[in-house]
Amino acid sequence: MLRKMAFICMALALLACPLAMAADFPAKEVQIIVPWSAGGATDLIFRALANTTEKYLKKPVVVVNRPGGGGAVGYTEGSKAKPDGYTLTAAVTPLTILPHNVKTAFTYRSFVPIINVVSDPSMFLVQAKAPWKDLKEFLTYAKQNPGMITVGNSGAGGGVHLVALAFQNAAGVKLNHIPFAGGGPSVTALLGGHINAVVVSPPEGIAHIKAGKLRIIALFADKRLSMFPNVPTVSEQGVPFVMGMWRGLVAPKGTPPAVIKKLHDAFQKGMNDPAFKKNARDMSINLNYLGGADFGKLIADSDAKFGALIKQMKKK
Amino acid sequence: MLESLQALAVGFSVATTLHNLFYCLMGAVVGTLVGVLPGVGPIAGIALLIPATYGLEPTSAIIMLAGIYYGAMYGGSTTSILLNVPGETASVITCLDGYQMAQRGRAGAALAICAIGSFVAGTLGIVGLSLLAPPLAQAALAFGPPEYFSLMAFGFIALSNVTGTSLLKSLMMAVAGLAIGTIGLDPVTGEARFAYGSDYLLGGIEFVAVAIGLFGIGEVLSNVNRPAAALEQAVKIPRLRELYPSGQDLKRSAWPILRGSGVGFGVGLVPGPAPVIATYSSYMIERKISKHPERFGQGAIEGVAGPESANNAACQSAFIPLFVLGIPFAPPTAILLGAFLIHGVTPGPLLISEHPNLFWGVIASMYIGNFVLLVLNLPFVPLFANILRIPKKVLLPLVIVFCLTGMYTVNNSVFDIWMMILFGVVGFLLRRWAYEGAPLLLALVLGPKLEVAFRQSLMISHGDFGVFVNRPVSLVFLLAAVAFLLLPICKTCYRQIRRAAAG
Repeated sequence: MLRKMAFICMALALLACPLAMAADFPAKEVQIIVPWSAGGATDLIFRALANTTEKYLKKPVVVVNRPGGGGAVGYTEGSKAKPDGYTLTAAVTPLTILPHNVKTAFTYRSFVPIINVVSDPSMFLVQAKAPWKDLKEFLTYAKQNPGMITVGNSGAGGGVHLVALAFQNAAGVKLNHIPFAGGGPSVTALLGGHINAVVVSPPEGIAHIKAGKLRIIALFADKRLSMFPNVPTVSEQGVPFVMGMWRGLVAPKGTPPAVIKKLHDAFQKGMNDPAFKKNARDMSINLNYLGGADFGKLIADSDAKFGALIKQMKKK
Repeated sequence: MLESLQALAVGFSVATTLHNLFYCLMGAVVGTLVGVLPGVGPIAGIALLIPATYGLEPTSAIIMLAGIYYGAMYGGSTTSILLNVPGETASVITCLDGYQMAQRGRAGAALAICAIGSFVAGTLGIVGLSLLAPPLAQAALAFGPPEYFSLMAFGFIALSNVTGTSLLKSLMMAVAGLAIGTIGLDPVTGEARFAYGSDYLLGGIEFVAVAIGLFGIGEVLSNVNRPAAALEQAVKIPRLRELYPSGQDLKRSAWPILRGSGVGFGVGLVPGPAPVIATYSSYMIERKISKHPERFGQGAIEGVAGPESANNAACQSAFIPLFVLGIPFAPPTAILLGAFLIHGVTPGPLLISEHPNLFWGVIASMYIGNFVLLVLNLPFVPLFANILRIPKKVLLPLVIVFCLTGMYTVNNSVFDIWMMILFGVVGFLLRRWAYEGAPLLLALVLGPKLEVAFRQSLMISHGDFGVFVNRPVSLVFLLAAVAFLLLPICKTCYRQIRRAAAG
């Protein structure tokens, strides 16, 4: 009898636990795992967001860098964290690429989406003095000379590399893709004239476009960039194609929905804070709020697209 | 040129406001601290302090954060000299002769010459930065993948036997380094190599773990292996009047410092492992042109003065691509780029014209900062030199603790700590059989870059190997590499012919 009662008490206590937890959440600091080194674009964005969200969450928000394996180390740790809402992970496009490329202990299904913060369209840049005046000339040349145009990307199997592969499928051309160790080196190689084009996402290359050294020849956005209103998107020019990089926050699977909602509301307020908006504008990143459900759809959609692309890439 | 000087004068008026002087000093102090602590480098220091600058004016923020970077170059040699633990990737080479000097009671002289060399090289580097930044940045752009490949190949051949001991053993270590460098994601196809399903190995082996393991932990283990009595006697305790370098030391260091500055400044413009190449090259040059090459590895002050200067000059010229192109060539400048962006300033071709006060203010603050660092570092010399008075049975466990904590701060990774311990054991065994760690570290740094540049070049040229010899800069480096290989052989042949003729 005593044992039975003890069992019931324990069961009740266990049941009550998540409820009580949601009510007084957060009781301590919240960590965001960034699976890249300090100082990169993702790191900077989430450090700035953590800074403005603290006052709405009323507890410190701390960014922890867990670099390695192109993000695999950070995502593994993030997916294995206790699902109590105190350990979040910065979810960026590679989350939906890595599991297709190498054997990983996680997929996007290991996480629950909280909020999307940034969506940056990808684009092709060429030197300002390049012979192609517009997308049409670029594609015509590419069709006549298959595999001759060299396009640098920021890393093999990385986000923009796959965007470039997807675009060549959509446009029906063949390009020569050269991987570099990051966006910086690829833009340097274009500036030096060692390659013909690069595929990047803002803020990479923006300074050189403004200085008139590089120009955008293909913009994969659904609308024109506010910074360069004269540059048409590729969809406007007859190639319906929109693709880019997203950055948001996720929690380990099993985190109570009430906790997710609290986190979402606090980070949404942090996103709307004027200080964060100014930071984002200064860094030329494109804020794009999506709630948990929409963000989840975006991730699943991106995972399907990249999965198919990688399958096609590996076949060759 | 005249315009630059005028602009620099305006820069000094920006940098000498009380406010900015304070942040310059702060940067220098923090930089020295993170430099001294093994593992904790400028990257961690800058990243930690970026949030603290949110409320500051961009100029003050950049003055402080840049100060951390070049300040760390001063402190990096301290643990190399005293404990054989390289504080930074750039101070691996300083271990070779710096540690030997300390063991012979000359720690003070070694530390002081590092500070002086760093100051001279840093200042010369800033002069180059303020006068020649735009043209040098353009020159750096001429380096495409084929040029990198040839440069790395030359570096690999010329620097493998940096210590000048056994060529065979050095090459064996270099090949081991190349092999370790292949672990991780394939840079061209993105597939996993030698990771055996481990997420941690996907990222490759951390250089700092190998460096601290081979040198620091390996040295501690070798010491532990010796009888306690012999251990306490081995280190000569410095006498007070020997704490600073003698006139003789200064004279012997003058040229190495100047040569190191030149080499470092040039190599700093090359993306990637500039500090490593710069320090190795400087050491190699000093050993090659020395009349007493046998003293190298036994505590030659030239072997400390040259590389330490090269390191600081490379650090200053690394600012050129950051400021003028807006592209970071080295990891610490990547963090600085982030700091610029968060303050709404985009470095790049328009920086000097759009933000002249910021650009010249930061440059002027570097002159001040380097002087502050010299004044700051010299009084610490006796203090640091006295660390060697601590009995070994107390000091050695402390070194291990420093290494463990320092290693963790690099990537917040426990896996890296295990790697460091593993390479510590390897370092101990290598020491017993008289193998050198330096060639392994060089290959570990150069190998992956060499591979990427090689594959990129061939992808761009559609598989045509001519790309390496058709481009003049690339051809020069390849010819230099061939000359380096053939010269010793020719020398031997020449001597044998002469001997045959004489006999």
